[in-house]
Amino acid sequence: MIDLFSGQLLIAALVLAAIYGLVALGLNLIYGTMRLLNVAHGEILMLGGYLAYWTFTLTGVGPVWSMFLALALAGAFGAAVYRTLCRRVLRSSRLIEQIEANSLLLLFGVSIILQNAVALSFTATARAYPYLDDIVRIGTFQVTADRLVVLGIGLALSLAAILFFRLSATGLQIRALIQQPDAALLVGVDVERMRLIAFSLGFAIAGVAGCLISMLEQVSPFMGFPFTIAAFVVIILGGLGNLAGGLAGALVLAAIEVYGVALTTASMRSILIYGVFIAVLVWRPQGLFGGRSLVR
Amino acid sequence: MTLLELRGVGRRFGGVVAVDAMDMTVDEGEILGLMGANGAGKTTLFALIAGNLRPSAGEIHFRGWRIDGLRPDRVSRLGVARAFQIVRPFAGLSVLENVAVGSLFGTGRERSIRRAEERAMAVLEEVGLAARAADPAGTLTLAGRKRLEIARALATRPRLLLLDEVMAGLTPVEVSEALDMIQALRQRHGLTIIVIEHVMRALMRLCERLVVLHHGVKIAEGPPGEIAADPRVIEAYLGRARE
Amino acid sequence: MIGRHFRFAGLLGVAVAAFALVPRLGGDYAIGVALNLLMWIALTQSWVVLSAMTGYVSLGHAVFFGAGAYVMVLCFGSLPFWLSVIVAGAATGALALAVGYPCLRVRGPYFVILTFGLAELVKFVVINIEAGLGQFGRLLFGGPGLAQIFYVVLVLAALSVAVTWFVRRSRFGRGLRAIRENEEAAETLGIDVARFKVLAFALSAIVPGMVGAAMVLRTTYFEPLDLFNPITSFTIVSIAIIGGGDDVPGPIYGAFFLVLMQELLWANWPEVYMILLGGLLVAFVLGVPDGIHGRVAAWRRSRR
Repeated sequence: MIDLFSGQLLIAALVLAAIYGLVALGLNLIYGTMRLLNVAHGEILMLGGYLAYWTFTLTGVGPVWSMFLALALAGAFGAAVYRTLCRRVLRSSRLIEQIEANSLLLLFGVSIILQNAVALSFTATARAYPYLDDIVRIGTFQVTADRLVVLGIGLALSLAAILFFRLSATGLQIRALIQQPDAALLVGVDVERMRLIAFSLGFAIAGVAGCLISMLEQVSPFMGFPFTIAAFVVIILGGLGNLAGGLAGALVLAAIEVYGVALTTASMRSILIYGVFIAVLVWRPQGLFGGRSLVR
Repeated sequence: MTLLELRGVGRRFGGVVAVDAMDMTVDEGEILGLMGANGAGKTTLFALIAGNLRPSAGEIHFRGWRIDGLRPDRVSRLGVARAFQIVRPFAGLSVLENVAVGSLFGTGRERSIRRAEERAMAVLEEVGLAARAADPAGTLTLAGRKRLEIARALATRPRLLLLDEVMAGLTPVEVSEALDMIQALRQRHGLTIIVIEHVMRALMRLCERLVVLHHGVKIAEGPPGEIAADPRVIEAYLGRARE
Repeated sequence: MIGRHFRFAGLLGVAVAAFALVPRLGGDYAIGVALNLLMWIALTQSWVVLSAMTGYVSLGHAVFFGAGAYVMVLCFGSLPFWLSVIVAGAATGALALAVGYPCLRVRGPYFVILTFGLAELVKFVVINIEAGLGQFGRLLFGGPGLAQIFYVVLVLAALSVAVTWFVRRSRFGRGLRAIRENEEAAETLGIDVARFKVLAFALSAIVPGMVGAAMVLRTTYFEPLDLFNPITSFTIVSIAIIGGGDDVPGPIYGAFFLVLMQELLWANWPEVYMILLGGLLVAFVLGVPDGIHGRVAAWRRSRR
């Protein structure tokens, strides 16, 4: 019999929630500001994971530091993808009519390219490295240090993001763009610049999340897609475009996943994620915490 | 004879009451005008009649059938057609294909594509779009799209036609042409028509009877001359319009 | 009108006859290539009936391919080959009818990711069922030969082409295309949109189920991860986008193009092949949204 109240499970759920929250935050930001469905989001995370792996393996510098490199590189990559591909969709009157479906196909193409480019460069072998895997005891339960680090960084980043969107001028403008795109334009929000920042920021956060995940899981070229799906579940749970709801959604999904697997078997993990995903899409497309209907 | 009857029809969106306890009858063969400022509930009323929205209170009867809560395609089959205020052309299909969809479904439900297109062509002649039949609907001007919207509704062979601001944004000459066209259509097809319009002159010329809505409530009803002199209407609607 | 249908039937007959000669004239390699081509034509034509006509883009058609294959596996040995293929088609059609109503209420991009999730869910359910039964990959010995599979898939490809042709020119097809252009207007004009969409979904599921049932016997091995592979869904969408349009020619152009690329690259450079495919998808969505079919049609018009 599994002890559902054990600290291990709680920590596992919180760690997973922190990661899901970060991945979903970026996806939500890009969707909220531009109505672009970034299905290549998991691949950015995968690239972040590889960056952390190679930095550690070649130079011995840990992910806690390579994270900053990932932030910069993924952000720059986001800006490049936005400039070369996504802006063309947003500017074409023909493509913008079905922007969500078109962006989905477009970014799906990008995701396939990234997966296979990485597989070509580094082979499809899954890779891992030992980092901070000594055990820490807190009260009655034990946990590996890397998990605590991931949890700490994840929470700090989420908090930073919340403060950024509540307090900074840029953050407020981005929120205005998400909630009232037309009004935002009228009051003088530089829409083009905010979109670029949102896109770049979304990618940057995914890159950092990838570094964090590489501390806990093996990295492989095809590791990204399950995270893309999980991120979709999270933001659908929290309401598309609703940034705070996304963090709550992350907690819900992580709890369902960790406790669901604990109650059944590990092979049920995918069924649980996809089951929740479908159930939410079919029955509550506006999200569990959102009232606004987004299915038109 | 009464064709359409609304009994205490209401609709709220959350806490906002869009239409409240609306009683209204429309006689066979009549042209009825619906007036009211923006947000008075006119378009909501059309959506309730055509089945695009469900009333939260009241009953709607059409030709003796109770139609409130029926799906739009069911209401269309019984003989109600709606031309949308914001035109919704099938932009990727040709003008002829657009109208043929009306003939294939709606009340007429023509089974053969060839006959549906023949009938669609006849309707296009009537609304003056025959020359554009083969062009994609997306290439029409606004006036053209408004006509297409009417043609498509007409092709369903309705008994009752709901026209929502089909003259908005047109030039005075185009408005005049549209008025003649609507009159001619009513004569030829024995239609009953409800018109929503902001162009007052047009309503006065077209309708035998007007209903005035204000904040979702009917505040006046009667022949155009009477309505124009009604102090409540002037206060709620015309007064502001004349400023 | 009638003349057009005769001309189409004639062309289809000639094409089927030409393909039927392949097993007599060519070796196993030629049969394999032709079989691959026919399979993608059949799958993509079926997809067109739903996704190109109604605009509900399915990124999960592998679910029907895989489910059909699974039905074949379950029937293997107890039913004759051809009967199992038909049972598989009936089963996947029924599956689509069952899940279609709730799924097709979900619109636009949500539908796209929903279909993807649904396919993955079914994949993992099948994997779990197999694990529960103590099966880890099944061997299927004593099935039909390559030529027999080829003829079945040839018939299915011809069937799918005929379905797309007739639906595209029918009253039903007009309704589907109206739904694609504007669902609310279509409904207000008297189209029972829920029924039309579910019927299109079911119609687009039957042939892929039968194709999956036939193709699983080619490898004599059932492995859910291969048969429910999301790459199958992705390839169908790519062929349709590259081919373009909502009619018969698009999937045929697209499938020829793709199979050519597969033959040149897949065996030695699978990653390069996938990268190119992704690049083509990006390029066609941005640059050639009407696909090869649209370009060919424009070129023909300009020559007239």
